[in-house]
Amino acid sequence: MAARTTSSIERSSTKQLNNIGLSGPLPSSLSVRPTPIGETFAKFSDSQPAVMAKELMAGSITQPSHLNSSGAIGHIFSSSPGYSTDLHHSSLLPHEKHSTNAHSISQSSNMASLPFSYSSNSGPLPSSTPNNYFKENSASWNIEPLSNFLDFPVNTTIENSPAENSACTVMASEEYCKRNEWQEWADQLISEDDPLTSNWNDLLTDNIQDLEPKVSHVPGNQSQGQQLLPASSGDNCFGAPPASSASSAPAKPRMRWTPELHEAFVEAVNKLGGSERATPKGVLKLMKVEGLTIYHVKSHLQKYRTARYRPEPSEGSSEKRLTIEDMPPLDLKTGIEITEALRLQMEVQKRLHEQLEIQRNLQLRIEEQGRYLQMMFEKQCKSGTDKKASPASATEKPSGVSSDAIKDCAAKGEVEASQVEGDCKSGRDQANNSTAVEERSLEVGMKNDGPENQASENPRQQAGEESAPASKRQRTDE
Amino acid sequence: MKFGKRLKKQIMESLPEWRDKFLSYKELKKLVRLISEAPPLPDGEREYGKAEAEFVYLLNNEIDKFNNFFMEQEEDFVIRHEALEEKMKEVRERWGPNGSEASEANYREEIAKIRKDMVDFHGEMVLLVNYSSINYTGLAKILKKYDKRTGGLLRLPFIQKVLEQPFYATDQISKLVKKCEGMMDVVFPAAEEELAERAREARDAITVAGEGIFRNTVAALLTIQEIRAGSSTQSAFSLPPLNMPDSHLIQAFQLNSTIPTN
Repeated sequence: MAARTTSSIERSSTKQLNNIGLSGPLPSSLSVRPTPIGETFAKFSDSQPAVMAKELMAGSITQPSHLNSSGAIGHIFSSSPGYSTDLHHSSLLPHEKHSTNAHSISQSSNMASLPFSYSSNSGPLPSSTPNNYFKENSASWNIEPLSNFLDFPVNTTIENSPAENSACTVMASEEYCKRNEWQEWADQLISEDDPLTSNWNDLLTDNIQDLEPKVSHVPGNQSQGQQLLPASSGDNCFGAPPASSASSAPAKPRMRWTPELHEAFVEAVNKLGGSERATPKGVLKLMKVEGLTIYHVKSHLQKYRTARYRPEPSEGSSEKRLTIEDMPPLDLKTGIEITEALRLQMEVQKRLHEQLEIQRNLQLRIEEQGRYLQMMFEKQCKSGTDKKASPASATEKPSGVSSDAIKDCAAKGEVEASQVEGDCKSGRDQANNSTAVEERSLEVGMKNDGPENQASENPRQQAGEESAPASKRQRTDE
Repeated sequence: MKFGKRLKKQIMESLPEWRDKFLSYKELKKLVRLISEAPPLPDGEREYGKAEAEFVYLLNNEIDKFNNFFMEQEEDFVIRHEALEEKMKEVRERWGPNGSEASEANYREEIAKIRKDMVDFHGEMVLLVNYSSINYTGLAKILKKYDKRTGGLLRLPFIQKVLEQPFYATDQISKLVKKCEGMMDVVFPAAEEELAERAREARDAITVAGEGIFRNTVAALLTIQEIRAGSSTQSAFSLPPLNMPDSHLIQAFQLNSTIPTN
């Protein structure tokens, strides 16, 4: 699903970002800041990438008309006129406001970061790396900027044409996938070698074309033993990097560690002489798992080491306890209490888990049924509007609602059915109402859990022209 | 605002590191209200499209947050699970009945340590599943609100997408949970009393048994029960009320919450 930032988000960070010097060498001062952003930028030892990133931010905000410029890198901005003017001015004064604003960067980054990260038109640097870095920060919702943005009215003048927007939207979803590729790849550049930032732009420009074909692989990329984001659907590329420690590379697609994968990991580690002696590179080689990067292994090894550390001291201490052994009776009593308490805790936890599983299954079933009915309604609407004339065709369609149930809420069903028929032509209305009807019939279905019944379609055919607002769920025209 | 309040309560009861990882339900609700109250403009369609895109954008952010946190926790759990199993094996092989240095005293002691770790581990995993569930519920609710207040059609397609997200795919964790439960009879001495009796015995000792996680799970269970107790807008997409025996007992475990200040 396309994620598109809008002016309100921009406006929220207007205050903060307005003053950010968006052109000119920034990182020198930024790297001094103790904030995480500073750390990341400090890594780009040369100013280039950060500058590019900032320029991109400025560029994207101030030049929305360029949105369609690059085919490869979509951009999804829209801005209000006053806003862009401000930025135009402010971008000319980079240095003064610098120190004060580096601070606000980290605060606003949570809200503002992602939008800016998609910007691309001016520089060859895909905003992938700083972008993902920002994404780390945006992992937690920063309430402060949000309250700012709530102060602004939602309606703004739109500078972009709708065509641009939709184009951007489409591109944005691809963008997400591409960013993943860039991230992984940009990471390798950063960590494997020293940040050769002078070559940075060249490398990236060269490789942008290479990455494009990869996008098609991304959606289908879901192997058994390991799952890389994105999930199955093509436009569902959540390549969000983990909010891991600042010391690790800023961006990497998240690896889903399964017990099997972990077992392979442990085997490799043991072969290499234990968690202390094993190196990420060695483990990576031994594991021979496709799609696994050194980052994944590195962070996993780190976790593994910390997990191993704890059990060991306790083993050591138990030796001592052997010699100090006395007062077993007292220990025994509290021991029993503790055991019982633990048992109880276990019971509660088991119950909770049980309930959660049941709940989850229900949720899945509900949504599945909803989807099915939605599909049915869409088909029904598409296949013609002359429902009243041909009840026969309707009865052929199976529905998951029992006839008794339908009779119960026939009135309501009729109202909404009439809407469905009447509005079959209009796009949004149709689907919305069919959703409402389907929800209604689902509700009925859920109550009775009845078998499929073809007669259920009939009451809908007898739709009258009753008042629409009968149901709460009707669309409110505002 | 009932769900919002419950969510807040649940968040307060949860482990400190988790607190900012939950759904920002209140903020999203505010946004929905803003969007629905904005006066229609001449270019209404576009405005609507923009507002919706913004909303979707924020939701996607939230989802990313969930995914990241979830997968990170999951990774930790996978590691801890294997470590616990290893430890169990070691203890058995060393001090167990057939072990190299068979010693009942030592064995019991070591097992006791593992027991506590394991119960806590089990608890944390269940809480993660609960985390996933409550965030899903929140998302579903906010989507429903959005559709209702703006006449949008966001809910159905979006929720389908949510269902595919890693954070919702709790199968793996559930498997680990079950495995843990399987190990319980090794780790716990045999007991034949009923839950009620044991509860009486253990009530005083509850403070000993890892208060944080225990309180959290109790709160989670009760929250689920409340959420499903029936809403004002019962629909086809609502879940039926919770069917849980001994719920009165569970309620008795609701400790006076002192918000841990870690």
